[in-house]
Amino acid sequence: MDPVTASRLLFDAAAGLAILFACVMVVHRHPVKSVLALVVSFFALAVTYVLLSAPLIAAVQVIVYAGAILVLFLFVLMLLNVPEEIRQKSGRPIHQTLSAAAILVFAVALLATLRAHGSPGAVPGSPSAPADIRAVARLLFSEHLLSFEALSILLLAALVGSFCLARREGSS
Amino acid sequence: MTALDWAITALRVLVPVLAILMALPILLWLERRGAGLIQDRPGPNRVGPLGLLQPLADVVKFFMKEDLVPANADRLLYVLAPAIALFSAMTTFAVIPYGATVPVGGREVLLVGADVSIGILYLFALTSLSVYGIVLAGWSSNNKFSLIGGIRSSAQIISYELAMTTAAAGVILAAGSFRLTDVVAMQTGTWFGFIPRWNLIPQFFGFVVFYVAAFAETNRLPFDLPEAEAELVAGYHTEYSAMKFAMFFMAEYINMIVASALTVTLFFGGWALPGFEPHGIGGAILSALIFFAKTAFFVWIFIWVRWTLPRFRYDQLMRLGWKALLPIALLNLIWVAFLVVKGWIR
Repeated sequence: MDPVTASRLLFDAAAGLAILFACVMVVHRHPVKSVLALVVSFFALAVTYVLLSAPLIAAVQVIVYAGAILVLFLFVLMLLNVPEEIRQKSGRPIHQTLSAAAILVFAVALLATLRAHGSPGAVPGSPSAPADIRAVARLLFSEHLLSFEALSILLLAALVGSFCLARREGSS
Repeated sequence: MTALDWAITALRVLVPVLAILMALPILLWLERRGAGLIQDRPGPNRVGPLGLLQPLADVVKFFMKEDLVPANADRLLYVLAPAIALFSAMTTFAVIPYGATVPVGGREVLLVGADVSIGILYLFALTSLSVYGIVLAGWSSNNKFSLIGGIRSSAQIISYELAMTTAAAGVILAAGSFRLTDVVAMQTGTWFGFIPRWNLIPQFFGFVVFYVAAFAETNRLPFDLPEAEAELVAGYHTEYSAMKFAMFFMAEYINMIVASALTVTLFFGGWALPGFEPHGIGGAILSALIFFAKTAFFVWIFIWVRWTLPRFRYDQLMRLGWKALLPIALLNLIWVAFLVVKGWIR
């Protein structure tokens, strides 16, 4: 098997795994298991990034999402000791019809977007040079500097906000 | 690919894994004898000369013990947790260069599992996953001591990871590359002919922060709050027995080796030594031995500290991480940036 076919197969497997575990995340009734399914999904997504020659994005994906944000999710769920959800018969049939319609609308919108913009530039297994960290940094600090800085101010505002909220509750 | 290529690839994959697995029993022996030495008692000395075969006896014991799963535990996660801990520990060594290049059949082969461009980020990504092993073990055991251990561990690892990566960022800035072979390459040679060009000297405080945070990341005393035996029985692995317990044990020791090896690579020049220029196969073996000796020194400090210092209180641990280590790491980063801009290093 030549390397291109091999990485194509690997890409399909990882992408399939990511979608499968995203579905498990939604369907599973236990919140802790849902978080873990999302971890697997993110990890599979990181594998697809590596195969698309973007190792930096893959590493950031694992460090930030799987390694930090989802650990916090897990932390909160364990502290609150959230029990398994009980499956309820939904009250009215109109709910089911509406949610099915919503899924259909989003699926059609997604397919239409994909068709309109064609296939993405990068193809798994293509011999294109891997994205250099230097190139990413240069873009970040020149062309996208304004949005990058705006984002950091946004994060700072969120940080100060959460600090204020926690403090007020603590003193009262 | 020729047969030689396959052989080289296979060796590059296997050597780091086998080296770590072979170091484990020695480390186990060293820890117990070292504890004896520090506490003024003999330590295990009955099995084999100097008690050297004690780890073998321990392994046999781990295999013979009953493998219990608590009745109300979450079976899947309970079995998965030690596997995650061991997996994330064993895969991290892959990117650490453990020697100079070896000439094989007219080619230069790097002594490193995989020389990837995101080297250190790969390492941090996998260590950040190791927390899942501990947290899931604590939660799935359905035991309050285990749960407290798991929760403590996740808070501790997230807090110290920040200081650790910020300290490592100073080295990355100085080297101008995430690739660990580049980090080692920049530390070869000397200043004024006798001071080694190790990152330790311009970034001493970065090293201190990194090494202290490494103790917290590996859950070793004085930061072993997740398994504090005086208050939590055994913390997250209270319910584990037999080989599942042994897997947590192995993961802790492997993490210790990797943390020491990484400290050596980032701040002590890896295999580099002033006045040492590796040539041929002999030079490569010598460079690997130098790397091994430096790593062994830091592993010994891990053991030394464990049997010397008392455990921190939880609030002290958090205060140290956020109010002392993180600001020092940030100041170190600014200092390194200043040095780089001035062109004094690099």
